[in-house]
Amino acid sequence: MKAKLIMNPHPMTLRPTDTVATAADRILKHHLRHLPVVDEQGRYLGTFSVYSLLKLTLPKAVLDKHGLHNVSFVTENVEDLAQRLGGRRDEPVKNWLNIHEVAHPDTPAMEVMLLMLHGRTTSVPVVNKTSGRLEGIISFWDVLEKLIGENP
Amino acid sequence: MHGSSEAASAVLFGLNPMWVAAILFALTYVVVMTEKINRAIVSLLAAGLMIVLGILNQETAIRGIDFNTIGLLIGMMVIVAITRQSGIFQFLAIWATKKVDARPWGILVTISLVTAVTSALLDNVTTVLLVVPVTLLITEELKVKPYPYLFAMIFSSNIGGTATLIGDPPNIMIGSATGLTFNDFAYNLTPVVIAILAVTLIPIYFIWGRHLRATPEDCQRVMQFNEHDAITDRRLLKQCLLVIGLVVAGFVFARFLGLEAATVALTGAALLLLLANFGHDAEHQSKHVLEAFNEVEWITIFFFVGLFIVVHGVDGTGLLKLLADKMLALTGGDLTATAMVILWSSAILSAIIDNIPFVATMIPLIKAMAPTFGGPEGLLPLWWALALGACLGGNGTLIGASANLVVAGFAERAGQPIRFVQYTLIAFPIMLLSIVISMGYLYWRYL
Repeated sequence: MKAKLIMNPHPMTLRPTDTVATAADRILKHHLRHLPVVDEQGRYLGTFSVYSLLKLTLPKAVLDKHGLHNVSFVTENVEDLAQRLGGRRDEPVKNWLNIHEVAHPDTPAMEVMLLMLHGRTTSVPVVNKTSGRLEGIISFWDVLEKLIGENP
Repeated sequence: MHGSSEAASAVLFGLNPMWVAAILFALTYVVVMTEKINRAIVSLLAAGLMIVLGILNQETAIRGIDFNTIGLLIGMMVIVAITRQSGIFQFLAIWATKKVDARPWGILVTISLVTAVTSALLDNVTTVLLVVPVTLLITEELKVKPYPYLFAMIFSSNIGGTATLIGDPPNIMIGSATGLTFNDFAYNLTPVVIAILAVTLIPIYFIWGRHLRATPEDCQRVMQFNEHDAITDRRLLKQCLLVIGLVVAGFVFARFLGLEAATVALTGAALLLLLANFGHDAEHQSKHVLEAFNEVEWITIFFFVGLFIVVHGVDGTGLLKLLADKMLALTGGDLTATAMVILWSSAILSAIIDNIPFVATMIPLIKAMAPTFGGPEGLLPLWWALALGACLGGNGTLIGASANLVVAGFAERAGQPIRFVQYTLIAFPIMLLSIVISMGYLYWRYL
């Protein structure tokens, strides 16, 4: 089975200029983990996810790849963290995208599942190879439905 | 490079080996400076060519390698690789911050002191690699610009490294080549280093320090950091502190014990590996020992190996003796003038080029001056001039020392880039100030 038969062809998307607040609203309201971000031509730019929100909540200094691996000495409470996230609510989402490995409409199902496993993500964007346009998104639930739901 | 080496091999048949060696040496410098090819590759390739072209044979080439320097570097790198896992560096930075009630200027001073002291005892790159992240976190919490802090850390790391035999590679090389001990370095360089660090903070205060402000709430949040939670492994920390204490004691009493620095450092490394792995099964041990060895900066080590061979090849042809004579002719064989030329030229060159090859070249060159100044004893002021110039000069530009580039990398990723020109405009004059102080010190104490 190919990716195009598993994917949700009408995923909810964001524009790069949408704010963090807008993205957070949608994530919370629809219980989504990943929102693909597309430009005006519908080309895939990256994904704003719950992990982007986690990053926005943390000090930049702890996100550096050579940075601090242990921050148990910091005694910030939830209000401090909320304040930091609140201070960044008007930033555009384009500053906080994750670039995931993408599938193409013809990518086989097994390859899609491997992308999920290796990328530690529960959703894989499906992107047209030549135009770079987002064709759909495959979530872990779409795959499970095909695996279990249709073969009772 | 390929074309030139072919030319050199043609020169070798019947022509002056001094020229072949000189061309190879100059090419090594130039290619290392362009940074197009990894410096370890360049120096090993040049060393190989020195042998293939017949300037040296393998036996003499190996004799040119200063294994005392190599052993000391590897030993300290292994010790640091294990120590960094304990969280001690973060502990020190937070402790220093809380000592001054998290006041922005106070933090800049105390973190600079922590950086200077740890850089004096351990490698500069590791020090900044571990202190910069926690400093960035503190400045972010205080909502102050990190730039002045990062600037001060570059300076304090290079200045602190100047203070001891093991603080900076130029000192390690000078100590190893001359037999000057840990105590000699501490006695002769530490006093001026303290003065330089203090004076360096003055312009930093006037340029940035007096404008640094943080709200009481933000300071309070940093004051609530619990430095003891930064320590990830108490048992390991105790072992590390014990071994570092023993190693420093070993350096202090090295002459008395009849030991060389590499023996002290490598034995210390082995002891720490033993303590940290004691009681664990074979598989666990292999994994941890391998991890520690992987942290050794093999690029630096192989760069040194190749470089020692290249410089030894050049030295053997008499070229460096010739240059030494030229320099002495220029200074009229006057010790004061020679020391000043060495101090200023090494400071300015080290700001632009890597100070490791520069010092590797200067060591045999200065040694060749011994007859003029009444034997090796008479050269002492020149060694201090070289150490001060080469170590402090590294502050002058962003590419002057590897620690500078590490700090710049963090700054870049934190979205607060340190620009080359902007840095140089302020750093170069402050570096020159430190050289003026060194000049006064050398003049007052030795000349």
